[in-house]
Amino acid sequence: MITLSMRPCGDFRTSYKADNQIFETKTIRWLTMASIGLLCFAPMVLDAYFLTLFIQISYLGIAALGLNILVGFTGQISLGHGAFFGFGAFASAWLNNSFGIPVWLAIPLAGWLTMVVGMLFGSPAARIKGLYLAIATLAAQFIIEDFFARAEWFSGGAYGAAAEPFTLFGFAFDSDESFFYVALFALVFMTLWATNLMRSRDGRAFVAVRDHYLSAEIMGISLNWYRLLSFGVSSFFAGIGGALYGHYLGFVSAEGFTLMMSVQFLAMIIIGGLGSVKGAILGTIFIVLLPEVLESTVALMAETGLVSHGSLTEGMAYLKEMAIGLVIILFLIFEPQGLAHRWKQIKAYWKFYPFAY
Amino acid sequence: MRTQLKKTGLALAAGAALLATSATAQDKVFVGHLADYSGPTAFVGKYYADGIKDTLQWINKQGGIDGTTLESETIDYAYKVPQAISNYKKWKSRKKMVAMQGWGTADTEALISFVAKDQIPVYSASYSGHLTDPTGKNPKTRKPAPYNFFYGASYSDTCRALVQWAKEDWEKKGSSGQPGFVHIGDNHPYPNAPKQACGEYAQELGFDVKQPVVVSMKPGDFKAQCLSIKNSGANYGYVANLGGSIVSLIKSCNTVGTDIQFMSNIWGGDKLTFNAVGEGIDNYIFPALTPFWSDDVPALETVKNIARAAGRDDSFQTHHYIRGVCSTLYMAEAMKWAKANGGITGANIKQGMYATKDWVPEGMDGVCLPANWTAEDHRAINSVNVYQAKWNDGDIKINRLSQVTLPRRDDWLGY
Repeated sequence: MITLSMRPCGDFRTSYKADNQIFETKTIRWLTMASIGLLCFAPMVLDAYFLTLFIQISYLGIAALGLNILVGFTGQISLGHGAFFGFGAFASAWLNNSFGIPVWLAIPLAGWLTMVVGMLFGSPAARIKGLYLAIATLAAQFIIEDFFARAEWFSGGAYGAAAEPFTLFGFAFDSDESFFYVALFALVFMTLWATNLMRSRDGRAFVAVRDHYLSAEIMGISLNWYRLLSFGVSSFFAGIGGALYGHYLGFVSAEGFTLMMSVQFLAMIIIGGLGSVKGAILGTIFIVLLPEVLESTVALMAETGLVSHGSLTEGMAYLKEMAIGLVIILFLIFEPQGLAHRWKQIKAYWKFYPFAY
Repeated sequence: MRTQLKKTGLALAAGAALLATSATAQDKVFVGHLADYSGPTAFVGKYYADGIKDTLQWINKQGGIDGTTLESETIDYAYKVPQAISNYKKWKSRKKMVAMQGWGTADTEALISFVAKDQIPVYSASYSGHLTDPTGKNPKTRKPAPYNFFYGASYSDTCRALVQWAKEDWEKKGSSGQPGFVHIGDNHPYPNAPKQACGEYAQELGFDVKQPVVVSMKPGDFKAQCLSIKNSGANYGYVANLGGSIVSLIKSCNTVGTDIQFMSNIWGGDKLTFNAVGEGIDNYIFPALTPFWSDDVPALETVKNIARAAGRDDSFQTHHYIRGVCSTLYMAEAMKWAKANGGITGANIKQGMYATKDWVPEGMDGVCLPANWTAEDHRAINSVNVYQAKWNDGDIKINRLSQVTLPRRDDWLGY
């Protein structure tokens, strides 16, 4: 996929069209399509546990993708992404419950609403940047969280909001097996959208704003508009992710959309690779699967009798939390460009074997 | 498994020859247990979780559910919703879970729809009032929760009981004028849960309900908040937070010199909190749905045995621990009923919860309060024990003041 970064030597393009291809080669295109096709059969072979993990990766991945557009591509920062995610969840439930808008329409509408809110809270980006912007968006996190707790007409306050299942032509996607397809469609659609956005004029403008804002402005790119637009797009993705989350669970509670969630989204894109569509997804997979892998390691250790189970569940709990922190630190040290970069290197290694280039 | 169990039931009826095979088929049932040992609610969560874990083991040592072993797994989900969901799905699809012991608001609410659809009863320690309306009888209920159970009075009912106690206290003291009532807590679903319901009842009883005072769940310096409490002129304050936040609140308010009667929610008063405050504890009112560890109740010996069997200190455990024990025992007895009435499945366990009136688990008289679950009303308990904590020369003295019983009003269902 197009990455808009430095290319290794020997990787030539001779036309603009070739330079803008979504898939670098035909093989990659076919492989991608085949794997999506294969995924369609997943509900027939995998159990609810794997399906729910995939669904989690989908809705969190969509939101992480949005954050990567803001942070990785445009060079802004947001500490309020978790709140935007929650806003999408509540907005979709609210549109559906209060106005009877069908869920399939309420989800994109919730995305638009979140976009408006995101642009509102992103407006300080027009004047400030860096750490100052981080603190300004932190305010968004707290204001929106407080709004969830107080605005009973919108979120149900302390009681939370019920969210109807996703329904299409009278068929309710309310099981893991069926919702899997909704999640898969949304993930593929949004990934494609993000990839396309990045090879458009707007996408290039985002990168220009990130790389050298002065040059970008001299070239006629409106800094304020593109910073704001980036906030909008990023919140739109968060809203879609949140709406899917709400309709999957069937219930949205004001708990959970905390600063921790915002930080976790940042962790996803840093681990995955800033400024890479693929990286956002890879980072989400990593963050979702890490606790699960640790959990099953603990279970395995207990089953083999390596350590007694009772003390383990309590002791391991702390180890698990620390392990997550440790892995993130190690990643920043040894893999500063993220999983996406590592993926590229592995691919290049096989492609050019046995030569380095 | 469900069909397998049905088959098992048939086999039992068919004859003794098949009994042996069916016994092996129903040898084990799985109970999932979500606990918070390391998350933000671990301060009380670990004691509640210990109570459940120990009781599950103890039940097996006593022969299980009439011969059926309870297989269980305790997972520390650290109050994270994604972990709660994935573990639930794992248990459901791989272990054929029949019931689950959950913990807080976050996991319980995230799973409401799933458990209703999968017919898996969940016993939580989230006492939100809106979990008590299984059929959506009250028009205010947004989401009926047919498979959610909890042992205890809801946050709203506990607060109402305290308000009722406050009213009696006010009259007993012979004070004149209108007493003031204030809600003190963070702006967060858990402290907010009883705010409106309790405020309305306080007003009904003739209290002057003041503007709620927002105090963070995170410990800090709350002198400013204590000054607003002092200036509001409230006589009774409902403390809706828990743990360190309450320690800070009491200390700050003692410095400021607030003259108010604190009444805490179910998680806001336990010996650990009092020990942390130390000398500042003076006449602190807190509710409990079980006796205190040091109370003179014969049945507590069983609870102590449960703790001893798990190698725990039997000189003291919090009342959260005892509540965990009760929650598990009710589940176990409902399972027993289910086993005798068609097999241990989620749907049968739910029916088992409705089978007994004024239900106290065997040998638990005086420990677990008589509970009444019905198909239309999941408010199991409508009486609350009111306790008082007092600093007494280097030790905390706990007195039981009274037991308040609330009416079962229809407009309070699920609210």
